[in-house]
Amino acid sequence: MLNISQSKSDTALTVALEGRLDTTTAPQLESELKGALDGVTDLTLDLTALEYVSSAGLRVILSAQKIMNAQGKMKLTGVSEAVMEIFEVTGFADILTIE
Amino acid sequence: MNDVNVKISGNLATVSLCGRIDSNNAHDVETKIMSAIEGKTYLSVVLDLDKLEYISSAGLRVILRIKKNNSDLKLINVCTEVYDILEMTGFTEMMPVEKAYRVVSVDGCEEIGRGANGTIYRIDKDNVVKVYNNADALADIQHEREVAKLALILGIPTAISYDVVRVGESYGSVFELLDAKSFSKILSCEPEKFDWCVKEYVAMLKKIHSTLVPAGKLPDMRETVVSWARFMLDYLPKESGEKLLALVEAVPHDDHMIHGDYHTKNLELQNDEVLLIDMDTLAVGHPIFELASMYNAFIGYSESDHEIIKKFQGFDFETGSAFWRASLAAYLGTKDERKIRAVEDKARVIGYTRMIRRSIRRGGLETEKGKAEIELWKNELIELLSRTDTLLFSRNELEIEATNENLPMVLEFIEEHLDEIGCSPRIKMQISVAAEEIYVNIAHYAYNPDVGKATVRVEVTDKPLTVTITFIDNGKPFDPTKKVDPDVTLSADERDIGGLGIFMTKKIMDDVKYEYVDGSNILTLKKDIK
Repeated sequence: MLNISQSKSDTALTVALEGRLDTTTAPQLESELKGALDGVTDLTLDLTALEYVSSAGLRVILSAQKIMNAQGKMKLTGVSEAVMEIFEVTGFADILTIE
Repeated sequence: MNDVNVKISGNLATVSLCGRIDSNNAHDVETKIMSAIEGKTYLSVVLDLDKLEYISSAGLRVILRIKKNNSDLKLINVCTEVYDILEMTGFTEMMPVEKAYRVVSVDGCEEIGRGANGTIYRIDKDNVVKVYNNADALADIQHEREVAKLALILGIPTAISYDVVRVGESYGSVFELLDAKSFSKILSCEPEKFDWCVKEYVAMLKKIHSTLVPAGKLPDMRETVVSWARFMLDYLPKESGEKLLALVEAVPHDDHMIHGDYHTKNLELQNDEVLLIDMDTLAVGHPIFELASMYNAFIGYSESDHEIIKKFQGFDFETGSAFWRASLAAYLGTKDERKIRAVEDKARVIGYTRMIRRSIRRGGLETEKGKAEIELWKNELIELLSRTDTLLFSRNELEIEATNENLPMVLEFIEEHLDEIGCSPRIKMQISVAAEEIYVNIAHYAYNPDVGKATVRVEVTDKPLTVTITFIDNGKPFDPTKKVDPDVTLSADERDIGGLGIFMTKKIMDDVKYEYVDGSNILTLKKDIK
């Protein structure tokens, strides 16, 4: 189960994720971001309520990072210790902006 | 020719017909019958067709007109040829039609199986007959046929009876069973096949327990066991009796199939196929009820007299106990003695309950021997109840269709075991991430473009605390550990989107091992938990 909520002000977009980001839910986030990133210069992924992320989730996050590198910047907030460890194992901790 | 005979006594008219009824004599037959019953609509009419060899459509029309006059009409002693005509024309749907039964003798025939309701004999090379203990067994036979058909449709290999016969004063149902050998016989005569028997016996057990039965098609075993527990209230100390009932009532309703009498005489090897027989006890319910009856079959009933199992199964008590233990271990998917014993104890709670009730109902309290036995079982039961908090258990093994949709089920199954040992959320997530990679790999590639099965086994050991997760599939041989690791020092723009999964798995787990054995990919993940 993954709940996604967006809030936008001008060219800044915040996407809050709640639940599990895995093989079965990652396509949901991917299609949600697809149309939403046009014209966005500031993307924030709020992971406060994210309980679980697997490599399928990481792939979507990496795609978003690549898009935002071309048109602005992206940051992650509310990263739990457990999720942080997954980012560290994969070297994601070094290529993402984590607050 | 005297082809019609009508006898009226009270409200019953018995009409015997013999020979042939066709357009030549149908009119005469009808006149004779009608002159005796016309207008007497209160009569119940029984047509005794014992001597009737043939009936044409002219004859069938006579039957229809009798039915119109006396709606309470029944046909008995119908020979196979006439029965076929009646069935083809739909008459068997319109009125009760009872077949004439072939008479079969089982004198000198080999006994090949024995269940709660009857004994199975081989009557010739290709056929066996199950003779029911109950003399008035037609309803039981009908029931067994229905449930065997249901089981077959749901994918359980079994034999379905094709004929009902008379055997002395009892009824029997005849099955085709070519050259089959029961697992009891294999275990007795070919002890070197012990491991093979365990494997096949457990495979069938898992198949039964993973079969979902449409609601209302089979009796609910839980209700039966609740009634046993209620019965015991009068024979146990108050506290124990109430606990027993509460434990049984806490077992949730389960729509999966259980066999109800699953021992090695009810499993047959025919050519290379394993068949389940003796289906009359089929029910739905939690597998603990099945394990209880298995415990009794291999140990319980023979615990105080080891000769009993020899008489019944052909092998000795030690073989029976070893077979039960090995099967339980394989069924649970664990070698952990403590876990196996814990589940065995739950099975014993219901097992003793059943044996005590059975013995009391058979007058066990009226003999010294029976009393002593009941006392022994009762003490065991009271002791078990004092340290049992639930009858539920979980297997360490899950077998499912390898699809993305089943991923949550797999992770839940694994996390349940991790919770049992009090795993931190951090470690739990890491292990789940690793397991997800391996599982999703199987779901996507192993059987592509088809779908196949995957087995997931979780084993936890303490001292040192380790978790071992094994994935087994029968798809294309594939060694994921051979995949080249991605360069994780590259920047976001330089990095590939994929290729992370296996790398993460290897980083997270302490040991990742791949084997290809007998057509199976076996991937084992191990993690030490500090």
